[in-house]
Amino acid sequence: MLIFSVFKTLTDQQVTVELKNDLSITGVLKSVDQFLNIRLDSIKVLDEARHPHMMAVKNCFIRGSVVRYVQLPSEHVDTQLLEDATRRGSSPRSHPFIG
Amino acid sequence: MSFFGLQENNLEEERQRIRSGASRETEDVAVYTWGEESYDGLGDALQEGGDDFNDETFGSSGSVGKDFDFAGQASLLEPELAHHKSANPVLSSPGQPRADATPRPVEQRPDNRRAPQSLESIWDDRSPFSVLPRENGGNRLQASTSQFSPFPESPVLHQPNAGQGGARTLQEIEAEMRAAAQQSRGVSQRQQNALRLQQEEEQFLQEQAYQQRQQRLAFQREREIERELQLQALQRLQQQQAMQAQHQRTPPPRMLPVSQSPRFVDQRQMLLLQQQEEHQLRMQQELQEQLRMEELERQLQLERQLRAQQISHINQGPLNHRRQTSGPTIAELQFQALQRQQLHRRQRSQSPAYQDFNVAPQNIQLQQRLLEELAQVDYLREFQGATQAEQEALRAEAMRKIVEAEKMEDKRRKKAAKIAHMSRYNDLMTQSDKDFITRIQVSQLVTPDPYADDFYAQVYGAILRSRMGLQSQDERVLKFGTGGGISLGNTQKAATRRPNAMQRMEQQVERIVSNARRREEEKGLHSLHSLQGALGKTSGRSYKAAPRQLLQVDDNPSTSPTLAHANAHISKEDATSQPNEGAAKEAAKLSRETLGNTGNVVRKDPLTHRQVLTALEAMYDLVLKVEHLRREQPPPEEEEASQQWQKEYDDLVELLWEGLKVMVPLETSNPHPFVSLLSPSKGKKLLPRLTRHIGSSRMLTLMTLLVACFTQLDVVKQAPLLDSLDESDERTEADRQTQAFLGSVLQSILPIVANLELHVVTALLGLLIDRSQDIAAVAKTKPGLALLTLFLSRVEVIKQGWGQGVEPVDLMAAGASLEQWQAVFDQFFVLLTPHLLALFPSSRIVLQDPHAPSAALAIDIMDQPVWQFLAALALQAVPEQHQVLVTSLRDKVLENVLSANKGWVADEDERRTKLANVNLFLHALGLDSSQIAL
Repeated sequence: MLIFSVFKTLTDQQVTVELKNDLSITGVLKSVDQFLNIRLDSIKVLDEARHPHMMAVKNCFIRGSVVRYVQLPSEHVDTQLLEDATRRGSSPRSHPFIG
Repeated sequence: MSFFGLQENNLEEERQRIRSGASRETEDVAVYTWGEESYDGLGDALQEGGDDFNDETFGSSGSVGKDFDFAGQASLLEPELAHHKSANPVLSSPGQPRADATPRPVEQRPDNRRAPQSLESIWDDRSPFSVLPRENGGNRLQASTSQFSPFPESPVLHQPNAGQGGARTLQEIEAEMRAAAQQSRGVSQRQQNALRLQQEEEQFLQEQAYQQRQQRLAFQREREIERELQLQALQRLQQQQAMQAQHQRTPPPRMLPVSQSPRFVDQRQMLLLQQQEEHQLRMQQELQEQLRMEELERQLQLERQLRAQQISHINQGPLNHRRQTSGPTIAELQFQALQRQQLHRRQRSQSPAYQDFNVAPQNIQLQQRLLEELAQVDYLREFQGATQAEQEALRAEAMRKIVEAEKMEDKRRKKAAKIAHMSRYNDLMTQSDKDFITRIQVSQLVTPDPYADDFYAQVYGAILRSRMGLQSQDERVLKFGTGGGISLGNTQKAATRRPNAMQRMEQQVERIVSNARRREEEKGLHSLHSLQGALGKTSGRSYKAAPRQLLQVDDNPSTSPTLAHANAHISKEDATSQPNEGAAKEAAKLSRETLGNTGNVVRKDPLTHRQVLTALEAMYDLVLKVEHLRREQPPPEEEEASQQWQKEYDDLVELLWEGLKVMVPLETSNPHPFVSLLSPSKGKKLLPRLTRHIGSSRMLTLMTLLVACFTQLDVVKQAPLLDSLDESDERTEADRQTQAFLGSVLQSILPIVANLELHVVTALLGLLIDRSQDIAAVAKTKPGLALLTLFLSRVEVIKQGWGQGVEPVDLMAAGASLEQWQAVFDQFFVLLTPHLLALFPSSRIVLQDPHAPSAALAIDIMDQPVWQFLAALALQAVPEQHQVLVTSLRDKVLENVLSANKGWVADEDERRTKLANVNLFLHALGLDSSQIAL
């Protein structure tokens, strides 16, 4: 849920999605769902020479399970907040004041 | 037997002959049997000559009861009929030019004596719509000799119901049979012949009517085709016209089957569609279309009547045959003849075709028909245009339009097919199904506490909004809208496109959320797990389920003994001391402790890095809880809730305070636990988030501790690493930590310092001097320099405030404070003076000869805080101290001014920076770099 929460804030930002088949797709993040399926717009594949079939593709939907990494734009990620969110996510319901 | 080969004049002649009974003897028996059973091969085995086996086949006339003896006549009549047939070749050997075109039922044969009419022929439906097998007729028709047909010239009857002839009721037949049985014995040859002739004539008449109808049908089809072609393929008009010319004599054999083929129907339907689509459809075409439809209907009606006639023939056929074979009496035959005549009369009165036939007005009708046809051809000619060029143009235009229409039709069909394909599964789910799914999805996503499950997005959104200066204009959305991943957070963008849909969606979500919340409350905290994975799992294990422990981190850091000790050691009074009175006392106490009053202090090893990290994590958890609690502060009206909340909050803050380990005795360890906590950058970053929860008195204590332990700080210890421009991991790390310290720790104590009284500042400065073995070393670090600058600035602000009389000042106390301050400052100044030049990073950094031009600028920028500090120092200094300052710094100032003015600088930026730096200091002395004479 945390990653989902983070990705939600990154909509309309440029991200690079590295797939498990070594394809790296850079594009504008349009939407993401709870399965971390990702919809990208105006995409560009990193090594176009190796993947000529992707040249014509302008947008794509990526199933969350095939994603290896997502490179986030650091200027749009609040690291400290992310740390806090991680802390919250790890023990949210153990405390009576939360939840 | 069909009579399509029959010429009109022949028919007339035939009729005359029949009436006169002249041509009876010429009938050909051999041809007569050409008939019904040929398809199953039985015809070949038929014994043409005689009726030797008739008794075997039909039973002997003797054994059969009288009531059913209607076949007896036929055997008697047989030779006569055979003669009759042979004399009438047209009858017997039918040439059908349109055999392949117009379906003609086999049952139309007038003389069916020999060939028993099978019931199958009833089903021998020749209509194009029939699904029944038609090879019987087809084979025979193909086998028949193709012969020129004079049919278009033959009379065409306009009466569609011309051939009602054959229909007879059962009662009639029965009466006939009885009469035949009575009179069969005394029948004479002549009477028989008369009967035969009567029957023959009747058949002829029926045939004639049928033929005429066929003719009419064929003609109608022809016309239809013509119109079809007009509409559909104007380019073929030329050929069509040529054919039309022929059609006046002979109908095109190939046209008619087309009209009957299903493909033709399809084409027509297609054309209809096209015409519907085409907006340039002309009225004329519409009219024609209408006409054609009417004609089609009429045709259908005709065909239906035709079939009825066929059936009547079938009924009649075997009847005749049996009667004839059984050999009826003369009386019978006479009666029969009478009856038949009556029947004929009836039929004739019913059907004008008979009258036409008798009076022979069909010639007139034929002429009319022909005229009509000719007129149509003329019309077509006119339609085509007079000249060839016009025709060509018209044809091209028509072609273009047709192609266009076809394209459009093609496109439309493709589209329709696509839509049909896509809409295959439309409405498979009802609205309630969809709602159900949506509810499940939303209930999975929506939580009552978005801050817990969607913390990042919530807070990030809030921060972003506050940064953009937007008030959280829609609290409701923030509360649970975005909480679900139903990205209502982006309402501003989406709303412009479909505001209504979004509103509806929001309302629905709101409802769903409230329902989910209610259910949540009913079921308890863990109800969310009930639907977990209902629509698929998010991952191998749920984010809510406890994750497998990958890091073996001790849950209980060994902090409590220290804490307990701290509580025991530090008096309550100290902890709650007021800032004004207590601070100085505390500073003094802390100073005292530094002097070695360690008798009852349990020395401990400093916290390990791991302990620091776990302690910090615990602190962060507490901070988060406190922050969460702050967000849920109940309105002050609800006193009980407020009190409860306040209690919880205070408890948490107390935990935080203890966690900071500020009250741990100074000498417990080196570095002090609090300093240890500050060593990681996240420890440094924690401090600003604590300050708003911790009271100012406690913050003062914290700051005192910080000052006392200043030299223990990692950023001070690591400071020498920064006196280099070489890139190394250590230097980078030190720089990062220093920035974090300046940005977080000093920023968080800045508001405390800004409110300090003069005597507290004095005490803190004194403490700093005491606690640090080498105050110059502290001053050489960025954090130390920054802290000292803070103190000096604060003192200057206080002095200015006094001077301006902004606040009422107790002169005695102020004087004493000033005296105290001056004493401490003097001490500080004396300690610092030998190191004044060394304060500058530019003095400490030894540049390698070939260095980047930007390095000099970087160093100048690094010098800036030092010049700032010196300016603050100069403000506090007395004139004698000014002398010392100027003397000490004279070289540095001159160097900067010289290099700036003489152009010994890389660029304008460096020059300006140097001058600005120098001026910072000189202005404090009341001077300016421009005053310096070189």
